[in-house]
Amino acid sequence: MDEKRVCTGRYFMMGNVACAEGAMAAGCEFAAGYPITPATEVANHLAEKLPQVGGAFFQMEDEISSIAAVIGASWAGKKAMTVTSGPGISLMLENIGFAIGVETPCVIVNVQRGAPSTGMPTIGIQGDMVQAKHGSHGDYEIIALCPSSPQEMFEHTVIAFNYAEKYRTPVFLLSDAFVGHMREEVVIPEADKIKTIYRKIPELGTDPLKLKGFLDENVAPMPIFGKGFKAHVTSSCHDEYGKRNLIDISALDKFVRKLSDKILKHKEEITLVERDYEGAEVVLVSYGGVSRAAAEAVLQARKKGIAAGTLRLITVWPFPGEEIEKMARKAKHVIVLENNLGQIYPYIKAEAAHFSEVSFLPPKLVGEIQDPEDILKKIEEISK
Amino acid sequence: MSELVHPYHRFIRPTVTHSSFCPGCGDGTIAQSILRAIDGLDMDMDDFVFVSGIGCAAWIPSPLFNADVLHTTHGRPIAFAFGIKMGLTEKKVMVVSGDGDLVAIGGNHLIQNARRNIEMVVICSNNGIYGMTGGQAAPTTPMGVKTTTTPYGTFENVFEDISGLVIAAGASFVARWTTGHPRQLTASIKKAIQKKGFAFIEVISQCPVQFGRKMGVGNAVQMLEDYKNRSISIQEAKKLSKEELKGRIVVGELVDLDKPEMVEEVTRMRKKAMGGAEAAVDTGRS
Amino acid sequence: MATLRIYNELCKGAEECGICLYVCKEEVFQPSETMNQKGYRPPVIVNEDQCTQCENCMIFCPDLAIVVSEKKQKKGSQ
Ligand SMILES: Cc1ncc(C[n+]2csc(CCOP(=O)(O)OP(=O)(O)O)c2C)c(N)n1
Ligand code: SF4
Ligand code: SF4
Ligand SMILES: [Mg+2]
Repeated sequence: MDEKRVCTGRYFMMGNVACAEGAMAAGCEFAAGYPITPATEVANHLAEKLPQVGGAFFQMEDEISSIAAVIGASWAGKKAMTVTSGPGISLMLENIGFAIGVETPCVIVNVQRGAPSTGMPTIGIQGDMVQAKHGSHGDYEIIALCPSSPQEMFEHTVIAFNYAEKYRTPVFLLSDAFVGHMREEVVIPEADKIKTIYRKIPELGTDPLKLKGFLDENVAPMPIFGKGFKAHVTSSCHDEYGKRNLIDISALDKFVRKLSDKILKHKEEITLVERDYEGAEVVLVSYGGVSRAAAEAVLQARKKGIAAGTLRLITVWPFPGEEIEKMARKAKHVIVLENNLGQIYPYIKAEAAHFSEVSFLPPKLVGEIQDPEDILKKIEEISK
Repeated sequence: MSELVHPYHRFIRPTVTHSSFCPGCGDGTIAQSILRAIDGLDMDMDDFVFVSGIGCAAWIPSPLFNADVLHTTHGRPIAFAFGIKMGLTEKKVMVVSGDGDLVAIGGNHLIQNARRNIEMVVICSNNGIYGMTGGQAAPTTPMGVKTTTTPYGTFENVFEDISGLVIAAGASFVARWTTGHPRQLTASIKKAIQKKGFAFIEVISQCPVQFGRKMGVGNAVQMLEDYKNRSISIQEAKKLSKEELKGRIVVGELVDLDKPEMVEEVTRMRKKAMGGAEAAVDTGRS
Repeated sequence: MATLRIYNELCKGAEECGICLYVCKEEVFQPSETMNQKGYRPPVIVNEDQCTQCENCMIFCPDLAIVVSEKKQKKGSQ
């Protein structure tokens, strides 16, 4: 990657700034958004840095146009992203479905905040987890990463761009106010140590009539605009040539399945988890900032001689059911921790309940990550 | 002797066998007017990216035109076009959509991008109705008329002057024609394509199926006759009072001016940023 | 070469559309009973010698179904 884009070094950096630096390092060229707490710092930083490498951040009239412009830029061949919080995602959902339907690489950063509605802007919760997967209409698969530290805000943003480009799909970075506003050490490696991926495009000069630019489980090359591909890109049901079909149900079936299969077929290589449950009887399953409390509680438990462990989901979508099952087969008790009222819990329970006891430990106060002391108490209770 | 060949069939996507419009729909005339402008400027379809929203008018370029076409979501084509233009500054970006799409659900994108004066052509087929969904009242539907969602007659004031809105927002080129003026329309589209700035063309267009027949204006031919009778040039209109202009369609090139254009301003901003790149590398702060 | 050509399969019918009949000042076209494959009845050319090559029918036709041969001037019209 371009050295000008990567500010190699060791920093004390805010998570949101690290996210923007990750986007720079990943090769982001276009960003659009609308101001919102607690995501604004990402936009501010991109507005400063992107023009220096020939890109730009654009403040749009709303979040609907932000994601639309990002999708447009992506079809123009640019690596593109938007950043917002829950209210903005709610506005974006129709066009996120469009991005999925026409297979548009882009990164959507959601720095989650107290919700529903306007909620509490500076408080981080994990309230939009299922929205990311099911918010737009219709069946689809999505990729979502959950950073737990400023360092991961940097790293996961790079991964998000790589996944988006590789699988031609929107990728969510599901952070929250807690991680986004956290300041910690961030180490940015040298440019040549950062792996970046760029989407495949068809060979220049390919006959547009022969060009299969859509609906391939192995990811069709993207007939980006301006190259003479004469791409017909439509939000309507279409075939692998992009040709609209509004009458044949089997075309719809193919449209729905191929889009999902494209992600599911590559689930193993997409899935990222952190396993630390060797020999554990009680396993804490969590993601994002909550994982920090889980790790601390397990450390305490082990000191007390309890066989406890953790499974951290780095990618929450596509849902890593196999990883849950693998863990549950070994554990006696599974405790799910989230900073919400239990959004991913039902998914985990569905995979784990055949093999172990599964319970949910909500935060005492929604918006406040579980206290490691309380988690420890729960572990002790269960393992009695 | 070789057979006569239509000069614009070469612009049509080879997989398309016929247009998607009802018989006599004005959208087909708009489509041809666009193609004639492109031909007249000796341009190629590959010089363009077409963007449309949802509605009958959105089918003008999609899939008809043999070019890069992004057929987006209802109301949002201008917002998508913004990103395309910023990514492909050397291409001509043309949005073609309906009045409901561009002015009702998508009104703010129209206003804000006219204000930005970003170089793009926006062609609005204004048929005064939601054609595709079956003849519901649009903001452009005349007051009092019965539609499928206003069985007792529309009780909202009509949006009389879309072009006026776009002028007020700051577009550098605005014209209004009807489908009864295809030659003038083509001439304005040519100017719009060449304009460094936001160029908006409102085309009053007949929807004989959902508007004409249901509201008693008649079929396509009768609607064209009605447009002919009601149209008045902007030059003539300036001599008349508001009262005298009631019910008339003011046609012509309403605005053509030069002002800062956004893509150029962004390029300027980048130069500034690159000049100061050294000093701004510090990232340890928020 | 002929002055006019109607692409019968593109036409959506003189009865339903009929715009060419309306815009032609020379009454070159007439409705006809013959149906195309889509079930529309395209008009027929009855007065080809009357055609002044004004191109009105071609330019107004919503379905790119009529072509008029070029006058001596440059292709297309303005
Ligand atoms: C978000 C959303 N709401 C509603 C619709 C349904 N819809 C499709 S076309 C249309 C109206 C189109 O009207 P207009 O833009 O005037 O186009 P016309 O068909 O008249 O050319 C509506 C409401 C939709 N596709 N998406
Ligand atoms: S419904 Fe109206 S606007 Fe739509 S294609 Fe038919 S005539 Fe045209
Ligand atoms: S204008 Fe075109 S579509 Fe209409 S009747 Fe004439 S040839 Fe047919
Ligand atoms: Mg309409």
